[in-house]
Amino acid sequence: MMSRRLLGLLLVLPALAVIAFLFILPLIMSAVGAFQVDGAFGWGNFVKTFDLYTKDIVFTVVIIAFSTMLIGIASIAIGGYLTLGEHPVAVTILRWLYRWPMFIPFIVVGQILRTFLAKNGMMNNTFVNLGLLTPLDAQSFLDWRGIVIAFVWKQTPFVALLVAGAMASVNRDTIEAARNLGASRLRVLIEILVPQVAMTLTVGLILSFVTMMSVLSVPLMINAQSPTMLTADIAFRVNSYGDYGVANALGLISLVLASSVAWIYLRASLRERA
Amino acid sequence: MKKMSYAAFAVALAALPAHAEELTVATAGDQNMVDYINQYLGPLFEKTYPGNTVRAVGTGPGDAGSQKILERFDAQAAANIPAWDFDVAVVHEKFVGPMVDKKYLDKYRGDIDTGSLVTRANAKMALGTNVDGYVMPMFNSQTAIAYNPALEPNPPKSYAELAEWAKAHPKQFGYNGIKGGASGVSFVMGWIYAFGGGDANTLMNGPFKEDETRKWDAAFKSLADFTTNATLTPGNAGTLDLLSRGEIAMGPVWVDMFYSWQASGQLPPTMKLILPAPGMPGQPMHYVLPEKAAHKDLAEKFIALATSPKVQAEGIVKRFNWYPGIDADKVKSELDAATWNKLFVDITPEDLAAKGKPFPIAPYNNAILEAYEKSVK
Repeated sequence: MMSRRLLGLLLVLPALAVIAFLFILPLIMSAVGAFQVDGAFGWGNFVKTFDLYTKDIVFTVVIIAFSTMLIGIASIAIGGYLTLGEHPVAVTILRWLYRWPMFIPFIVVGQILRTFLAKNGMMNNTFVNLGLLTPLDAQSFLDWRGIVIAFVWKQTPFVALLVAGAMASVNRDTIEAARNLGASRLRVLIEILVPQVAMTLTVGLILSFVTMMSVLSVPLMINAQSPTMLTADIAFRVNSYGDYGVANALGLISLVLASSVAWIYLRASLRERA
Repeated sequence: MKKMSYAAFAVALAALPAHAEELTVATAGDQNMVDYINQYLGPLFEKTYPGNTVRAVGTGPGDAGSQKILERFDAQAAANIPAWDFDVAVVHEKFVGPMVDKKYLDKYRGDIDTGSLVTRANAKMALGTNVDGYVMPMFNSQTAIAYNPALEPNPPKSYAELAEWAKAHPKQFGYNGIKGGASGVSFVMGWIYAFGGGDANTLMNGPFKEDETRKWDAAFKSLADFTTNATLTPGNAGTLDLLSRGEIAMGPVWVDMFYSWQASGQLPPTMKLILPAPGMPGQPMHYVLPEKAAHKDLAEKFIALATSPKVQAEGIVKRFNWYPGIDADKVKSELDAATWNKLFVDITPEDLAAKGKPFPIAPYNNAILEAYEKSVK
């Protein structure tokens, strides 16, 4: 009996060691490093962080929260149409198309949008040629709007995939009952479908939120101005000043932001089970 | 028969050079730096010293790449490793000082015959640290203002004129701030040289005094105003992109990048360069040799080859439009007049001598960047 338990421990040991040395240890070191200034413990790094980057922290939260909201709306719309759509060809086309952005890396998204959204880029040129815009009114979207567009474009398919799956497994009787009683499709979506997939939607959005918190390539390629995202600031602290202290402090702040969202999710799921 | 084949093997083995070594060259910078070593310098070296091979390792673009090399040295020094894995490293000027201070580097310049061909001051002092003997400049690069003559035929000739010009032409000047590459950083440094209120020479040569950093308030205030009238571009390449699409009329760029883009057709041939007074910074990339490199002799031979007038002419000037690392006169004789003149069409050697500045010494550099972060939001 004892030897079997030992064997089991031995089997999980490699996995445990990987987690301990490659995740937990660096996390602790970086958290400790955030409170170290020239070898002594202190709040210096955080003072500097809030002095220089408060605006960026707010910017990051607002941009990502706004993107998350748009992703939520878009994925409900896609999932809803896949479930309730009555035009089989349109449903097939949408089903085939919507997943594509998921397989494109963030850096490529940044690269594509950099030329697409520029003042004389493809989007504005198309509008100008269609007569919707004059060249003088054209403006560059390579600022916070570019970041939001990149995030929404890239993350919507992921959430839509989860949501559409959950919606497909909802008991169709409830939908049909509502339809028989005369509810419009929009009403069925909002009052019947979405409440039943709310948990899946939340999980998808939280995972997206955390992913977006960690993306460096998009802000670097689309907007590395000020205010900018925290990831760009972390990279700048390390690369330009070799200053890991403030970079760690910034990292800790983004960890707090990310885990606060996870906490909301945990509370919600506990309440559901209770 | 069997004996014969053994003999043949023995002869074949004996014919191989006794010391087949692999030289590891780590380089910071863009992919073109890795390509330069893999496609040009490496094969040339392998041909000159048969039997040896060159392995190039790219550590990433910009300061981040040099930072990684420094951290690698830190780690190997801390672990007391007797033979380090990089034999030659190519790093930015800013990181040479710390490497010399920490005694990571070999003082090799006196050992190689091309060492005496180095004439520029930046091979002696690197941002305030004496690095004489520890470095060989691979090339010198320079920033300048690129402009579109179709939109502005008479570009401003100084920072003061530029500030006025930007006010009159909102959003027509583009630069990449300080977080998107060094051309923007360089523009900001030039701004402080011009309007900083202190002595620019102190910023470039030291010594560092806390008082100096308090003289910049007015300069940063005017830079913040200037920036609201400017377009912020995504990166060094972003500035050139916007320029080529006619979205901005001018902006700071790296001279070599400007010429390379023109050569490859990414930038119209009509675009021009100007170096505004009192000047903008440029910087060398340096070859360094770690004190504990495993193949020191070979590394010295590699650097000697890379800094020979022929290679500097062919590789550095002709292929990349960089300014040579060694004395320009020695390189000039290796090149045809057309190639040489191309490098000096818009910016004359006199301009370069008068207005090509170094970056500020490291502590001022950091202080200026941080002050920018604080005031230009």
